[in-house]
Amino acid sequence: MTRMLSKITLWRTIVALIFAAGLYATYARFALGFARATHLTDPQPWGLWVGLGTLCGVGLSAGGFAIAAAVYLLGFERYRPVLRAAILVSFLGYSSVIAGMMYELGLPWRIWHPIIMWNRASVLFEVSWCVMLYSTVLALEFSPALVEKIPWIGLRTWYLKWHHEILVGLVMAGVVLSSLHQSFLGGLYLLTKGKLDPLWYSPYLTTMFYLSAIPAGLAVTVIALFFSVRSLDVKLDPRVFGEVSRVIAPLLAVYAIFRFVDLSKNGALHYLWMWREETLSFWLEIGLFVIIPLVLLNMPRVKNNPQSLYWTCATVVGGFMANRLNVSITGLQSSSGIYYVPKWTELVPTLMVLTAAVLAFRYAVIYLDIFPKNSAKIPSRLRWTITSTAAEA
Amino acid sequence: MERTRAILVDITKCIGCRSCEAACKQIHGFPAESEAKLSPTALTVIEEHNGKFVRKMCMHCQEPACASACLVGALKKTAAGPVTYDASKCIGCRYCLVACPFSVPHYEWTKLVPYVKKCDMCATRQANGQPPACVEACPTGASTVGWRHEILEEAERRILAGGYVKKIYGSEEAGGTSVFFVSDVPFEDLGFAAPPRQPMPLLTASALGDVPAVVLVGGGLLSGLYWITQRRQAVAMAEGNTPVATTSGKERR
Repeated sequence: MTRMLSKITLWRTIVALIFAAGLYATYARFALGFARATHLTDPQPWGLWVGLGTLCGVGLSAGGFAIAAAVYLLGFERYRPVLRAAILVSFLGYSSVIAGMMYELGLPWRIWHPIIMWNRASVLFEVSWCVMLYSTVLALEFSPALVEKIPWIGLRTWYLKWHHEILVGLVMAGVVLSSLHQSFLGGLYLLTKGKLDPLWYSPYLTTMFYLSAIPAGLAVTVIALFFSVRSLDVKLDPRVFGEVSRVIAPLLAVYAIFRFVDLSKNGALHYLWMWREETLSFWLEIGLFVIIPLVLLNMPRVKNNPQSLYWTCATVVGGFMANRLNVSITGLQSSSGIYYVPKWTELVPTLMVLTAAVLAFRYAVIYLDIFPKNSAKIPSRLRWTITSTAAEA
Repeated sequence: MERTRAILVDITKCIGCRSCEAACKQIHGFPAESEAKLSPTALTVIEEHNGKFVRKMCMHCQEPACASACLVGALKKTAAGPVTYDASKCIGCRYCLVACPFSVPHYEWTKLVPYVKKCDMCATRQANGQPPACVEACPTGASTVGWRHEILEEAERRILAGGYVKKIYGSEEAGGTSVFFVSDVPFEDLGFAAPPRQPMPLLTASALGDVPAVVLVGGGLLSGLYWITQRRQAVAMAEGNTPVATTSGKERR
């Protein structure tokens, strides 16, 4: 117990520091303006808040729709124990993206404008509607976890019955909406023809963004599960890690093939061997997102070990982030003619929002029924310990 | 159909007096001092390239990337030709800055309530029958305004008369613009951008056109999958088995 307390105090200090820095950055953004709070300029109008906050935030939240579809539409019951956690992660992810929008938009109090001011020719318009609708879908999908805790049984039963009626419809809507806006985030960059580096520009940016978001979203789900078991005292059948990770490898392979064919079709293959920053960033991205995970996920030692899977998934997430930052920043650097290095006040709000999301996840797991209670009954031969410290505590 | 306004800039006639800059700044109430590059307070500037004076301003594309990018429709190609900006709609997403192949829109980074700034070809003045302020101020006739087809004919006439590079910059850039340049020096040497030849909105049109198909086919496919899953579970139930057996599910029971 004392060990846990001391651990928490360390983390509390870090969290407090992040929040303090985040609050100052918030002050800088809103009281001093973009010029003082960011290194954004006309040639680089989208920086970390779009690249990291929006593109990574939405992409990494793709686990919810994939797991929900697997359980409800495909009947893969083996994912059910982690369904709520996956939906919660996605819901918090989208909430974070919307919170991040408040920093990114120049006039955030007008964030509702797209509801009544339409431009169907705009990819961003489609993205904004899909994100609005899908956030609502996620809130509804997650709502039973909160409603269950309402003490009035009549209201509870009524809501849960009503929820059950619309659930499959919600899940289907979630899949369609996610497919649309995950692709359209890539579609945003179709207009950068001639500006975006050939290693990333493609008429199939939409497909590329979609194919990469699903494995990345699943990787985040694995990370969240590991965090729950390791730090939140959740008992989970360890095989579920393997079940979720198992699909990541083929998804990454499909993406890799598609990416390679696309690069050769666009005549961009010779860029792969040029000595320049873009190419190095490209190989960092491909190494982290495709090559290392594909090798690791084919090793039996990794496949059957939750901790190894956790690190593999962290690599996938790192590679995914490299990809989104390459598209939004690195790939546009040479055409913009300026070298954008974000200011610390750009990074910190994103970090603060992420920390808040992790805290919210933690409290939800502690106070709500996110994981099934009976899953503690794990055959003893499969009982596992992630680290000796976690087991002792 | 070509009853839209256009501007012709003849680089051979520009003497670099910057009267256009001054007139533009005056009409918008911007500080008077000249700026080197386009900015939120300089919607047109004269740049010097290889001893030539090159005027920069919004190209007023026939099918503008910015207008197709703008999610709230704040940027619009008007029937009269100018591409205008409705500040009351703008949410400050800055996608127009990302989208513009000529790097024209500029953002008020230093302001707490920032808007996008770009030339609107003096749309209100033109609606009242007046020429754009910059054209009116030009003492040498380097900038002229007129109907788009007439302006294009005039540009061709000058090129055919000799002394010019055989190209009208703007006639095919980004699918065609409403601001044209003729020059006696190749445009590559004057710092002109080389954007794609097709109208920029075409780049996103096919993806956007897929939306109804994705919704219909996706919805149908998912319903089908759900039906199959339900059917399998019903059959399994009728046969007295546990619903669609999964290893982990079975063993946990």
